[in-house]
Amino acid sequence: MSEDHIEGRNGLTRLRGLSGLQLAFVVALLAVAVAFPVLFPNPVATNYGVYALIFVAVASAWNIFSGLSGYISLGHAVFFGSGAYTLGIAARDWHVTGTGVFALLPLAAVAGALIAVPFGLVALRVRRHTFIVITIAVFFIFQLMAYNLSFTGGTTGLDAPFLPWGAQTYNNPFYYIALACAVGTIALAWLIRRSRFGLQLRAIRDDEDRARGLGVHAMRVKLTAFVLSGAITGLVGAVWFFYLTQVQPPSGFDPLFDLSVVLMAFLGGLGTVSGPVLGALIIEPGQLYLTANTNGYISEILLGSLFLVAVLLVPRGIIPTGGEYLRRLTSRGRTAIPAAAPSVPQAPDTAPVREAQR
Amino acid sequence: MTREIYQAIVDGILVGGVYALMAVGLTLIFGVLDIINIAQGAMVILGAYLSYELAARLHLDLFLGLLVTVPAMFVIGVVIQWAFIRPLRGRERTSMTLLVSYAVALIIEGILYEIFGANPRQLSASYVTSSVHVFGFYLSYIYLYGFALALALVAGLYLLLYRTTFGRSVRATMQDETAARLIGINISRVAAITYGIGVAVTAAGGMVFGATNAFNPNSGYDLISRLLAIIILGGLGSIGGALVAAVFMITLESVVDIWQPTWAIVVFYAALVLVLLIRPTGFFGRKAVRAQ
Amino acid sequence: MRPSHPWLSKRAFALSGAAVLSVSVLAACSSSTSSSTSTSTSTSTSTSSSPSSSTPITIGASLSLTGDFSTDGQNFQKGYELWAADVNAHGGLLGHQVVLKILNDASSPTQVDTNYQTLFATDHVNLAFGPFSSLLTTPASSVAARYGYAFVEGAGGAPSVFNSPANQADHNVFDVSLPIKDELVPFVNYIASLPASQRPKTAAYPMADDPFADPPVQLAQSMLQALGVKTVYSKIFPAEVAAYKAPADQVAASNAQIVVLGSTDVPTVQAFMQAFEQQHYTPKLFIAAAGPDQGSAFTSAVGKGNAVGMMVPNSWYPGYANAASQAMVQAYVSKYGGNASSVGADVAEAYSVGQVMAQAVAATGGTDNAKIISYLHSGVTLTSVQGPVKFDSLGENGQSVAFIFQWQNGGAAFNQVLPVGAAGSVAIISTKPAWTS
Repeated sequence: MSEDHIEGRNGLTRLRGLSGLQLAFVVALLAVAVAFPVLFPNPVATNYGVYALIFVAVASAWNIFSGLSGYISLGHAVFFGSGAYTLGIAARDWHVTGTGVFALLPLAAVAGALIAVPFGLVALRVRRHTFIVITIAVFFIFQLMAYNLSFTGGTTGLDAPFLPWGAQTYNNPFYYIALACAVGTIALAWLIRRSRFGLQLRAIRDDEDRARGLGVHAMRVKLTAFVLSGAITGLVGAVWFFYLTQVQPPSGFDPLFDLSVVLMAFLGGLGTVSGPVLGALIIEPGQLYLTANTNGYISEILLGSLFLVAVLLVPRGIIPTGGEYLRRLTSRGRTAIPAAAPSVPQAPDTAPVREAQR
Repeated sequence: MTREIYQAIVDGILVGGVYALMAVGLTLIFGVLDIINIAQGAMVILGAYLSYELAARLHLDLFLGLLVTVPAMFVIGVVIQWAFIRPLRGRERTSMTLLVSYAVALIIEGILYEIFGANPRQLSASYVTSSVHVFGFYLSYIYLYGFALALALVAGLYLLLYRTTFGRSVRATMQDETAARLIGINISRVAAITYGIGVAVTAAGGMVFGATNAFNPNSGYDLISRLLAIIILGGLGSIGGALVAAVFMITLESVVDIWQPTWAIVVFYAALVLVLLIRPTGFFGRKAVRAQ
Repeated sequence: MRPSHPWLSKRAFALSGAAVLSVSVLAACSSSTSSSTSTSTSTSTSTSSSPSSSTPITIGASLSLTGDFSTDGQNFQKGYELWAADVNAHGGLLGHQVVLKILNDASSPTQVDTNYQTLFATDHVNLAFGPFSSLLTTPASSVAARYGYAFVEGAGGAPSVFNSPANQADHNVFDVSLPIKDELVPFVNYIASLPASQRPKTAAYPMADDPFADPPVQLAQSMLQALGVKTVYSKIFPAEVAAYKAPADQVAASNAQIVVLGSTDVPTVQAFMQAFEQQHYTPKLFIAAAGPDQGSAFTSAVGKGNAVGMMVPNSWYPGYANAASQAMVQAYVSKYGGNASSVGADVAEAYSVGQVMAQAVAATGGTDNAKIISYLHSGVTLTSVQGPVKFDSLGENGQSVAFIFQWQNGGAAFNQVLPVGAAGSVAIISTKPAWTS
């Protein structure tokens, strides 16, 4: 596959567009997604759609930061819950009711971004495992504050304003809003992936010190990605809250939320654009369907075993592995395709030693 | 008021010992294998249930029962590491190990639910509810024994690390894995045995936790976040650091509890964030060479 | 040299496209053959007409069979199933057999929402029962309001359930269980009835951070303070196991004569009792908001000897001399083993839900939810194993009476003790005996 980036004049990277076939696929998928509530009008189907699309957006947003930069965040539930609570508090204190509440959604994105700035400034100063634990610590701080502060409603939580819509069509506006969020996030992820900004993020992932030495403003780049990721997650959290009509500390700030997102992104392919989408579309509806119909804890054992199988068998994710597999199938007998240049130029004397097996 | 503070400090030190028992295995595993073992909470609970079964079936004293559960957990640990952790490598190793350890935790939890059900249990013994009167305070025996056990284990691990050949291999691997390989240390063996030791030590932590708290298969989740905070604060890979950090954090929480229990846990995590801002490697952690 | 990972190769597109389509198929399958019904005019009140006598009446519910609330969720399942078996053995509802459809929600609000939508829009159940806990009841009742179902439940008693916007608009929630706020009043009245020389002087009020546990304890605190009982400790602590020891030790250090513990489960009570024992502290009177009402689950956890003297409020207990209740207890024991004291309060709550629904169906002659809702709001008094049931405009059961129960006889008997002189009350143990371990 030829290079993603083409050097233009002034050293600016020109975006390489989609081929005609790829564009056709995207349009077809989009058409199916838009027509989904018409094709399957049963509210149960659109309900699955709403939750699936919410997690598509969350997984893609998470991936924009963690997948590209390599900093695994287990604290994105902070943004999700904060977005939900922001919408709830604003609607309550400003006495907004009915469809007017939708106009408050951007506020949740702003809240997510505002929280991401101090959060990122604190957390992004450390690396890897320490970073992971700081995100966990901040997550718990937020969950506990939701319990303790009076304006968040404490253990009772917040209710969303009532929407007097009929049951058959209640889900549809939420579906389209979630779809818009998901499509917007995917588009953003695609743009970032192809841009210099994305290149810088991946350089940080591969070797941050070297990237710094090459002139990348690491903190600025990481923080920008973190803020973008947080804003989107906050927005989607607010959509979730309004749809479910309620948020409480354990559901808005759910400790297992981030692990599910990691699994979705990982299953599809960390760092890819379509990976988290695929992962979310598989896992979220699958989990909803299976949980309802299983009685015992066999389901937990099964779930854990599935994770293990997924990680051990498809370690790079479905999209890259599947793509490579198909490519290998179709290129048998033909000359090898030259590999793309790696994201950071490697100096020959620091060739990586064979990875230790630990 | 001051009596309450002294009581809180004494409580904090003793309970901190229990958390140290649970955290020591976690930091050891991190130091050598470079992974965060989210399954640690589930392993504590597994140790608690193993002790429970031994006490219920064979009427063994809890501490005597450790002679059985510790080797058993060692074997379990080695098997888990060999089967699921060892194959993980590559750039995504961090997220892979997260997911794998989460999967292991789920499986352990599911098996425990199937066997024992959801009803909470607690280990009981005469020394769990009795206490000794010292300077006007009541110190419960189980916590005293637990703290003593924690000290003994930390001392034992230090002996292992600094007085045995195996311990030297472990320390070498912790310092620089590539160099350790180059001088002929079998990294796979070191890794497997260290993981086993880490899990085995957790059996002791599980027993003391199970004697001082009611537990059911779900109890591991609340624990793991505190344990992670403790080992990061103590310094990843530092055993003595885990003990100091555990005592420090739990004592701090205990003292704040006098003022307002619902904010005590917040202080716990906020203290972690604060300390890391000032000293990113924790109390006794080593500075990372190439932190990738 | 690392190989490149083409992120958007044609094959990747094909794969993701296929996945999206297959997921749509999965979602569509879950909606089965009912997609055609949506073309009919949709009103917000669904009115399932009475089925013919050969078709069963289906009742849908979502319960926490796994997850945080699994102990209680499973007990609730037993209660619903016991009720359904009993009804079917006596000819069913209006001659129709009752079929329960219970889905697992793993204690997750997202799942509860999905489950009830599935029950209503795909399975088209005739009637609905509630889930366990206020956390899950509030979003579930919104779904039920949209679809026009009466939502009879027994485990969602926090004010947020009744004050939710959906309930305020549609008034479809009906909680058959005891409203919690006044449940400790009989205990306060007992203290007030003691002569001043015998009345305890100090009290401690530790409360778990939970909307069930706090309101009754806080009310008791203000009432007792007005009586002259000094408050030596009053704090809210997080509802997690690791956070119990410190408040318990402080209560012990305060040497309060009364302890009113705002607990929600057995482990909380057990942790406090253990800490008291370690500190060689025994309160004269010890009452907990929940936990000691869980029968043998409680006594096996704390020890029978230690349980003596522990008090707890409730509207039901296994010894309740009510024919339906005794039948339920016996049915439970013959199906699940144990003895009468194994039956926890959850089972009675779930059973009462079924009973109330059955009476509403019989009175309205069918399963028309709109009619059932207006019937239940009509001020009629219904019966249940938990006592009388009468709903106010927001669905709270105003008729339910709280009694105080106490463990006696070395932990073998769970007796009603307050109000003094009420039918069924026996003598109260006025000073808790020392710990027995």
